[in-house]
Amino acid sequence: MNAPADTSVRESSCRPGPLRSFAAILSDAWLAFRDARILWLLLAAIVVLFAVALSASVEPKTGGRRYLDLAARALSADMTGIDLSKDSLADVAGRLDGSLSMITRAEPVPDTAADGPTTTWSVTLSRNVVPVVGSLATADEITSRFGQIPDGRLWTIREIRETTTGLAAAVGNQTWELTVDPGPDLRILWPHRFSLFGDSLELTRPEGAPLGLEVFILQKLLSNGIGGTILLLVSVVVTAAFVPTMIRKGTLELLLVRPLPRWQLIVFTHVAALLFVAALLGLLIVATWLVTGLLTGLWSPGIILALPSLLLFFALLLSVSVFTGVVTRSAVAAMLVTVAYWAVLFVVGLMHLQVVASRIREDTIDKPRPVSVADALRPRPQPTRREQASSARAPFHKTTVARVVEGIYAVLPHTEDLDTMVDRQLMRDFAVGGRLRQLMESPDFTWARGIGLTLAHTAVFLIAACVIFSRRDP
Amino acid sequence: MQHVVSTQSLEKHYGPLRALGGVSLDVERASVFGLLGQNGAGKTTLIKILLGMLAPTSGSAHLLGRPVGSVEARRRVGYLPEDHRLPEYHTGPSLLDVYGGLQGLPRQERRRRAAELLDLLGLAGREKLRIRGYSKGMKQRLGLAQALLHRPSVLFLDEPTDGVDPVGRKQIRDLLLAERARGVTIFINSHLLGEVEQLCDRVAILKKGQLALVGTVPEVVGDKSTWLVGFDGPPPGDQRWQSARLVPSGTAGLWRLTLDSAGGIDRFLDEARGRGLLLRHLERERGTLEEIYLQLADAGGPSS
Repeated sequence: MNAPADTSVRESSCRPGPLRSFAAILSDAWLAFRDARILWLLLAAIVVLFAVALSASVEPKTGGRRYLDLAARALSADMTGIDLSKDSLADVAGRLDGSLSMITRAEPVPDTAADGPTTTWSVTLSRNVVPVVGSLATADEITSRFGQIPDGRLWTIREIRETTTGLAAAVGNQTWELTVDPGPDLRILWPHRFSLFGDSLELTRPEGAPLGLEVFILQKLLSNGIGGTILLLVSVVVTAAFVPTMIRKGTLELLLVRPLPRWQLIVFTHVAALLFVAALLGLLIVATWLVTGLLTGLWSPGIILALPSLLLFFALLLSVSVFTGVVTRSAVAAMLVTVAYWAVLFVVGLMHLQVVASRIREDTIDKPRPVSVADALRPRPQPTRREQASSARAPFHKTTVARVVEGIYAVLPHTEDLDTMVDRQLMRDFAVGGRLRQLMESPDFTWARGIGLTLAHTAVFLIAACVIFSRRDP
Repeated sequence: MQHVVSTQSLEKHYGPLRALGGVSLDVERASVFGLLGQNGAGKTTLIKILLGMLAPTSGSAHLLGRPVGSVEARRRVGYLPEDHRLPEYHTGPSLLDVYGGLQGLPRQERRRRAAELLDLLGLAGREKLRIRGYSKGMKQRLGLAQALLHRPSVLFLDEPTDGVDPVGRKQIRDLLLAERARGVTIFINSHLLGEVEQLCDRVAILKKGQLALVGTVPEVVGDKSTWLVGFDGPPPGDQRWQSARLVPSGTAGLWRLTLDSAGGIDRFLDEARGRGLLLRHLERERGTLEEIYLQLADAGGPSS
């Protein structure tokens, strides 16, 4: 016998809907989040970390003459359009214009600060043209090319006055008196000393390090690196309890009786947790950006990319945690499985990086190593005995281990791409060069693949969790 | 007749175990229905099927005219599970806010309703206390509040007064009777037979997954043919009565009276008056639910 609907009881104004359900789950997740003491410890630790970073002092070293010399040497080749992270010195060699320039006198203009990244210089520039191959340069050419390097513009010429005598011109020798202002990118490459706790702990070598490199390391440490890792680890611990708490006996029934489909409980919990972690990551990244900006005056916003990168990575970890939570109903299991999965991603990602690096090494083995300005200024290390020994062996990317790693990496969600893309942007912003830059610039890494595969894997874990949860008897 | 709950030959098997074996049941609107049975008799399984949490192996069930399991059927249902565990990081109001939101109550209404219910259930003044600081009775009251929050048309309560003190029990009973008066249908699972007797209009006894008995409380317990009588002064001890048999009842001053045959109680009263005895107490003896329940529990199989 089918019973007619009972409608005579006073209806309350219940209008269940996904939006209202989501708001309720969001508020529930917030209270669960707020309840986790470890989270507040984490926030305290992060505040301390940033306070320490803020205690840093960043002081420019001297080095104007070296950078002026560099700019003069660079006049020998037309470097427009050269990307030193990809092109090697051999490519540059083809662009030599048959001249050699040097600085014969350089002194700070009176009334400006002594040798530093903001000093204006009075400079005598001398240029010798190789007979037949080269030709005389005009003042305009010098103005447009002096200080222009692939990583940016080191110097700009404010005034130029040619002092070449007729006789000297005849033998291909030109001289100019220049007034040179610091260019927009000089500071990034200028060596600075970096010390913590009001100068008491010096972290750079005596000659200092390029300011851009310091900012890069600091930002990486604070948000995309250690800061982000700690925050995500704590978030994994806190959120691992969400689903098992929700679906434990006695609590689950109170939720299943509500007028919403079961999958919404899972998906909404996932999204709610993700929103809180997004807020935490946002705070971390904005704080990083503020700290490095305040310390160095470099306000390049590339670090913002760490937010989507870390958040997508966490979305994946969270979906693994939710899936494990649904299957095992245990917070500890969810936490351990998630951390183990993370460890696998990390190790395989790291080994995959080695494979890519090995392939790059082989591709460029006979070519001179590409250099950037930051690289050119650093003393070239001699190859160690180990490096010499390893070059005799088969390259890593041709070993069985490498092939296995590549096989595993192919089916994993390529979260390494996300991290690499952030590093690539930061290295570009801060003109960081060297071997790591070459690796980061490898076409093996793309945003599209990192985002696409991470999202796809996240969706698979979540859908599996929803299907299992919907079919299971409480 | 409108039935709020209606099942036809409902069966639920867990592998070889038959948790429910063909339960057909109708519950009328605005009544309190008590479901009794020993542990493992299938009470909770039946409730979970009605709430759409479990799928029946066979048979059909309707709740408020809609097939069970549909989201629509759950809209106007309140549920208090047995051994419920409320998330401990909540306070009373914050938990009701979350559940009210899932139920689709607008913010204003769930605030007002939560305050009203916390007050009604004696939890007012504890709004800031986290649930982890609650006593068992307080948790039970809050559990009841969440079931009543959205003014459901039908309530499923599994051991609603579990862990609540006698004063609280009375409050809860009054509250449930008030809900019934508003037209709410209440489905109660309980081991407290006295309470079921006080509250329920109809009861059913489940035994090994089958309905052993269904009916109103008087129907189920039935009237006995014995009476309890008391006289002003002791009755003549070993007098022989023509119309009845009289034996001490166990309570001082009261005798259990078994009427012999037709003629009924009037013949006995005439006889007593004729012997000059003044009647001080006369009460028809009735069975208790407990007696019926224990009889059924002792019997080998379902008696229906």
